[in-house]
Amino acid sequence: MIRVEDISKIFGADPETALGRLREGGTKAGIQAETGQIVGIDRASFALDPGEVFCIMGLSGSGKSTLIRCINRIIEPTAGRILFMDPELGEQDVTAMDGEQLRRLRTYHMSMVFQHFALFPHRTVHANAVFGLEIQGRDKAERDRVGAQVLEMVGLGAWGKAYPSELSGGMQQRVGLARALATQAKVLLMDEPFSALDPLIKVNMQQELVRIQQELERTILFITHDLDEAMRIGDRIAIMEEGRIVQIGTPEEILVNPRTDYVANFVEHADPTAVITAGTIAVPFSEATFILHEERAGLRYYRRRDDGEDGDIRYCIDADGRFHHVVLGERAVEPGRMDTTAPAATGASVRGRNEEVLRCGPATVLRDVLRARVRSRHPVVVTGEDDRFEGIIDEPALVHAILEKRGQPTTEPPVSGDAREAHA
Amino acid sequence: MTELLDVLRTLFTDPFGLIDLPIRQWITDAIGWIVSNFRGFFRTYVSPPVRGVMELSQWALRTLPPGVMLIAVFVIAWRAASWKVGLFSAVAFAFIGFMGVWDALIVTLSLVITAVLFSVVIGLPLGIISSRSDLFYTIIRPILDIMQTTPPFVYLVPAVMLFSIGNVPGLIATIIFAMPPIIRLTNLGIRQVQTQYIEAALAFGSSPREILWKVQLPLAMPTVMAGLNQTIMLSLSMVVIAAIIGAGGLGLEVYAGLERLNIGQAFVGGIGIVLLAMVLDRITQGLGERGPGGRNGKAD
Ligand SMILES: Nc1ncnc2c1ncn2[C@@H]1O[C@H](COP(=O)(O)OP(=O)(O)O)[C@@H](O)[C@H]1O
Ligand SMILES: [Mg+2]
Repeated sequence: MIRVEDISKIFGADPETALGRLREGGTKAGIQAETGQIVGIDRASFALDPGEVFCIMGLSGSGKSTLIRCINRIIEPTAGRILFMDPELGEQDVTAMDGEQLRRLRTYHMSMVFQHFALFPHRTVHANAVFGLEIQGRDKAERDRVGAQVLEMVGLGAWGKAYPSELSGGMQQRVGLARALATQAKVLLMDEPFSALDPLIKVNMQQELVRIQQELERTILFITHDLDEAMRIGDRIAIMEEGRIVQIGTPEEILVNPRTDYVANFVEHADPTAVITAGTIAVPFSEATFILHEERAGLRYYRRRDDGEDGDIRYCIDADGRFHHVVLGERAVEPGRMDTTAPAATGASVRGRNEEVLRCGPATVLRDVLRARVRSRHPVVVTGEDDRFEGIIDEPALVHAILEKRGQPTTEPPVSGDAREAHA
Repeated sequence: MTELLDVLRTLFTDPFGLIDLPIRQWITDAIGWIVSNFRGFFRTYVSPPVRGVMELSQWALRTLPPGVMLIAVFVIAWRAASWKVGLFSAVAFAFIGFMGVWDALIVTLSLVITAVLFSVVIGLPLGIISSRSDLFYTIIRPILDIMQTTPPFVYLVPAVMLFSIGNVPGLIATIIFAMPPIIRLTNLGIRQVQTQYIEAALAFGSSPREILWKVQLPLAMPTVMAGLNQTIMLSLSMVVIAAIIGAGGLGLEVYAGLERLNIGQAFVGGIGIVLLAMVLDRITQGLGERGPGGRNGKAD
């Protein structure tokens, strides 16, 4: 949908010199001390797929606002290219557009939501919501219709005649969202839209956004400095440091494999239970971890290597490698699919946990696995496509996942900044 | 050596004797040049519209029966500010009428209306241009400073030379004297609009003109209104002074009273001016506070 290629932004009188320094490997602080110019963005590249929620995360001053403003050229990038791909328009070079083309792009194809809402104080909620439609030149009847529709969608159907100052922060940002949705633009640029809101309202708004997104399928570039927020709503996350993008990946990839210390610091306090998946934390089904116990009637019975000879759980797999059932002692048990909607049984004691064996897919998040484990005392079986046996999640695996925020120790350890330097 | 000492001594005892700046002559010459070359132009092209607007407004105010006018004043002040201001304004106007200077009030009011109308029609666009062009504002700023700090009496002489005596030269001097605040505050009001609103307007594809009309001007309104208030007050004060060169109205009452040592007449004129000033001030202040941007211009 959008491809950003090597975008840089220098704030200063002589950007060419600063760009040169950047190419030679200069740092933001160094260039500022040397030339007095500020590096806003340092050669950032990424691409947004249609329908994706792409988060950009970083500390304050890392260049997030500058980057998002370069995409609709409210800030003029110093170097690099931005391409806008659209099924109707084909591929367009945003950086080469003249004033009129740029206005059309902003009017019909991209809209924006701001951290401090930026609602026009002299306009009613309705008049704010339809601002973009006014610029599009729609007639009053259509503005009224679409305005009512988007305000309804964000839960402010009754507030059209009020002024922004009469609304709470959360409600004001709903208006900001309505204004951005009203133009039907496929790309939504959101610069820390929920950062100024109270924590409870914030979570509420995040859920709302996810709901609206499922309905409307816009392509969203979402900026935040809150990792939990990014993990909750982002399909992918890019992490920015000093104007540079240091890592791009799914929430889980970033959590499990932070590429630098900066990223590792970020994810240290993240809540892993909503992000890490069963596939990552499972003790994988492999030579190293499982051993064939017996083979009988075309079925193979495996047990954990660590359990030793007297291990009383065996995992049965058929000739095609499909998972078949579990044997507990002498009893064959067909594992039940996990019911992720059931509330966690808070009162259950260890002894009260039942004998059922549960099974889930590799994409099931840790939180749901934990919830199920409260009810059952046996490891959870992880099966993939075609019922292929992928591994099990036992108690040590769970503890490890929560404490270390990563999968089994056998997975490749993350490369830390120190380690890299030591190698170099 | 002694010569050098002489010069040094004069430098301390009589430095101004060393150089003679013939500013007086320059200005006299300049005005003389303007008068002899442009008098015709000013009298054919500048006088008639000013006179026309003034006569039209005077005719309208005179045609309105005083009772209707009092009600109109009440309603305007009430809508612009509050019912209290409305009541005060109507009572103040009635009081002026009871003092026997209703007709002078009408004349002064029409002069103020005319001067303010021209100040706004010329000043607002200049203010808008100033806000968009630093160069333009850099050029216009010293001119505004001069216009505002020059004592009002100074305008009267060239005005008379160009337009002879009467209401029109008084009005021209008034327009020049009263215009700077509306230019300054329009410029300031537009420049003060927070970037976040400009960014939002830009992000939705607004053209510069749409930004001006839909965002900058509405948000600058309270400041523009403050400028309008100052312009009205300045024009009222100037219109009074203009009585010296033959403008009529309440100022003439004061001027004539002083000339004939008729203290009573002078005071009646003075009270009328003060009351009119208070009414106009309250009404325009009310407009400023009520202006659309005044609702919550500071919302982060
Ligand atoms: N108009 C500007 N002039 C100079 N420096 C700027 C300007 N805007 C932003 N910067 C600098 O660019 C860097 C990135 O800022 P910004 O994009 O606002 O960061 P973030 O949104 O991540 O907090 C900061 O160092 C900031 O000081
Ligand atoms: Mg920012």
